[in-house]
Amino acid sequence: MSADSKPAKGRHAQTARFDLAGGAIALLEPSHAVPLVSIVVALRSGSAADPADKTGLARIAVRMLRRGCDGMTSEQIDARIDLLGAEMAVDTSHSTVAIHAQVIARNLDAFVDLLARLLATPTFDETELAKLKRESVAEIIEARDSDRVVAQKALQRTLFAGHAYGRNSGGTVRSVEAIARPDVVGFYRRSVVKRNLVVGLSGDVAADRAPAVAARIVGGLQEGAAVPDEVGEPAMRPGRRLVVVDKPERTQTQILVGTLGTSAHDEDHAPLVIANAVFGGTFTSRLMREIRSKRGWSYGASARTGVDRHRQSWVMWTFPAAVDCGPCLKLSLELMQTWIADGVTPREVAFIQRYLVRSHAFEVDTAGKRLHQALDVELLGLPADYFASWIERVLAVTPESASAAVRRRIHPGDLLAVVVGTAAQVDGAVRGAMPGLTEASVVPFDAE
Amino acid sequence: MPDPAATRGRVGGRADRRAWADQVNAGSKDDAKLSYEGAHAFGPEAVHRWRLGNGLTVLVLTDASAPVTAYYTWFNVGSRHERPGKTGLAHLFEHLMFGETEHLGAGVFDRKLEESGAETNAATWVDWTYYHELLPADRVRLAVKLEAERMQHLVLRDPQVASEKEVVANERRYRVDDDVEGIANEMLYKAAFERHPYGWPTIGWMQDIQGFTPEDCTAFYRTYYAPNNATVVVVGDVRERSLLLSIRDAYGAIPSQPVPAEDILPEPTQLAERRLELKRPAASEKLLIAFKGPALGDADHATLSVLSEVLFGGRAARLYRTLVVDRELALDLRGWVSTFRDPGLFECWATARGSHTAEEIRPVMDEAFARARDEVVGEDELARAKARLELGSLQQLETMAGKAEQIGFFETVLGDPTHAFRRVEAFRRVTAGDLRRVARRYLVDTSRTVLRVIPDTGAKPGETAA
Repeated sequence: MSADSKPAKGRHAQTARFDLAGGAIALLEPSHAVPLVSIVVALRSGSAADPADKTGLARIAVRMLRRGCDGMTSEQIDARIDLLGAEMAVDTSHSTVAIHAQVIARNLDAFVDLLARLLATPTFDETELAKLKRESVAEIIEARDSDRVVAQKALQRTLFAGHAYGRNSGGTVRSVEAIARPDVVGFYRRSVVKRNLVVGLSGDVAADRAPAVAARIVGGLQEGAAVPDEVGEPAMRPGRRLVVVDKPERTQTQILVGTLGTSAHDEDHAPLVIANAVFGGTFTSRLMREIRSKRGWSYGASARTGVDRHRQSWVMWTFPAAVDCGPCLKLSLELMQTWIADGVTPREVAFIQRYLVRSHAFEVDTAGKRLHQALDVELLGLPADYFASWIERVLAVTPESASAAVRRRIHPGDLLAVVVGTAAQVDGAVRGAMPGLTEASVVPFDAE
Repeated sequence: MPDPAATRGRVGGRADRRAWADQVNAGSKDDAKLSYEGAHAFGPEAVHRWRLGNGLTVLVLTDASAPVTAYYTWFNVGSRHERPGKTGLAHLFEHLMFGETEHLGAGVFDRKLEESGAETNAATWVDWTYYHELLPADRVRLAVKLEAERMQHLVLRDPQVASEKEVVANERRYRVDDDVEGIANEMLYKAAFERHPYGWPTIGWMQDIQGFTPEDCTAFYRTYYAPNNATVVVVGDVRERSLLLSIRDAYGAIPSQPVPAEDILPEPTQLAERRLELKRPAASEKLLIAFKGPALGDADHATLSVLSEVLFGGRAARLYRTLVVDRELALDLRGWVSTFRDPGLFECWATARGSHTAEEIRPVMDEAFARARDEVVGEDELARAKARLELGSLQQLETMAGKAEQIGFFETVLGDPTHAFRRVEAFRRVTAGDLRRVARRYLVDTSRTVLRVIPDTGAKPGETAA
């Protein structure tokens, strides 16, 4: 480690981990800075385990937990949550479904009682389920107002076509409508069980009380078994493909270019993260400098590598005016090609290493962030030392290993570009910007 | 007012700080002299107020809970200080502040910060502009140097201005022209404020953005970017005295300058409801009802915020329960009392569900407004609203950046850096009778603007409300 790339002082001790009776585990990150307690109740399985014709099931089933329990209606539950100065939300991904809650610390005990009751005694009332399904369908349709969301969904379903990662966690109109009460009850019995659960607590809770609090939350659940991960490794379809998502009256386009990246277990994972940061991971990255700073073509220009249980996507994103979309896509692809062919320089790698090492302080500056790192290790099956050894692995990356990771993972001949815009205005320009296309299509924005 | 009790029992109280300031000021020029103006209780912590001779206000809260520091610079300038034909200048200027300076080439500002592991960003709104750096604690001096450099040595030439105008035009397309909510909001404020600058968008009208010259930007810089028009807020794991000496050395040579007195005409009383329609490609109809509301500093602001929570906040709120849960006419509902220095709006936003229309939603909302004027709110409803507001207030204090933003915002808008806590106290004091009083005062049909968004694909590309 060089003298000028030391991590900031004050690195925190590892998140406390407890085994709870019946096979659940609990993670604890206390902090008494603010009188709030955050609670995460996360399943070790996510939407990737949904039946292909009932995607959205995991999300619907977990959302149903606050829509009626033994002795309380949905309305009474909502009122109780508000009265305690609490909030609850459900977050669904391919690998986990999690209830995220936060409560004013003085009401922790009362809230834990409520949460335990919601988890252990849901009624899955038919009327409430029908309501939630209608609400979910309306949310899916409303999301079409966001061009960015439309672009992300189109990229995901095309890049991972035929794989569980190609299905949207929230489901489609048709798949949500197909979900019935037995599906929800079956999901609950199979998935909301102790061996499939991780409980996280952070904030203003005493360390010596936390295990008992976590045990109370899951105390009423069956022991069950962890839901197995039956998702296979995704594969990249060869060729250069273009999908134009046609949406009327756009003055701007959303452009995503993607392929597969790495798994967190791959040896070249950290090298690719570093190389990607050089290319599009910071405000002074190559992509930002050329697209935004020099030409003003797009308010943002970035690239990212996803992390999940299996290989996730590598994606670059720009959003130029419709009139600039052709030149912007062409330049983005040229920059990418140069990045692949020439790799990254020692100076660039050293710069990003300093950036990542020193900014590490912001990865762990709150109890909530530290808890979420520990949760990611548990729920995404990351190497146990993924975060703990991150700085060492960043510093071990060389210009050669970073450049090799790009060459190994990103192939200019195997790419998918998704452009959301008004097809009549942009289709010709984006086709012209992407020579060697093996496949091109125009789809309506409300296709899903 | 500063609270002397805030430093009671701490090492380095008011007298110590003043004595230290006297000591370090010996031999300094007047502009660079530090004066200690007292401490403000910020919950269990204290914000210490300092001022440089050139007028720069410095607020410091030492928090060693993590080895990071938030460095915020707030300028008392926003889109309210612009004029018709030059809208968006404050925001464009915020972008330009990340450019070249006399001593730093293009891109160097960001590179130096990134190399130190820092994040930087900025924001502009109607009353203010702020810049922030979030740094590892041992790098705070870098923020001091960089911020002082760009406060006095920014370079404004045509290539930078031309390129940044394009970036802002693209930001506008993203946030407004291609975003139905963005354009509806812009249209609403334009209709609600006929005279006051709150009627034009902070991002600016597109033709104004495209028309700016380097001369416009230079004049704006010379007028508003002065130390006596700025407040530096530092929250984090810092050594206060060492930090202050750095600030003195970096900023002390920047002269103060006269900031022109505001020339803003108050918005005339609205005497009749205004109704608008917007046809855009959209998944569903939307309804915006905006009543004229109180200024942030008005005692009614906290009370109306509680009423907003009773009506819109959370799944158990009155209108949420009726419109979203029971009758399923709406998918999403929001209420917000604008947090502006001058009287703003009480915005009520509804997204219709499926083929339901704004015309079905409006009578239900009107009924709820009438009920708020006619009846007192139940104790349970009031308690829920207060608990939710308390939760929201605490959530804003979870990080160093959150604290710095709260301190800087309330200092800049109200001159009270600890107003976040006074606001929670004000929420606690609100009674059911208070809610009915503000409902009668503000939920007045003749003072409201109603905007209906109708899904349509017939408009021409690029058409805006300007």
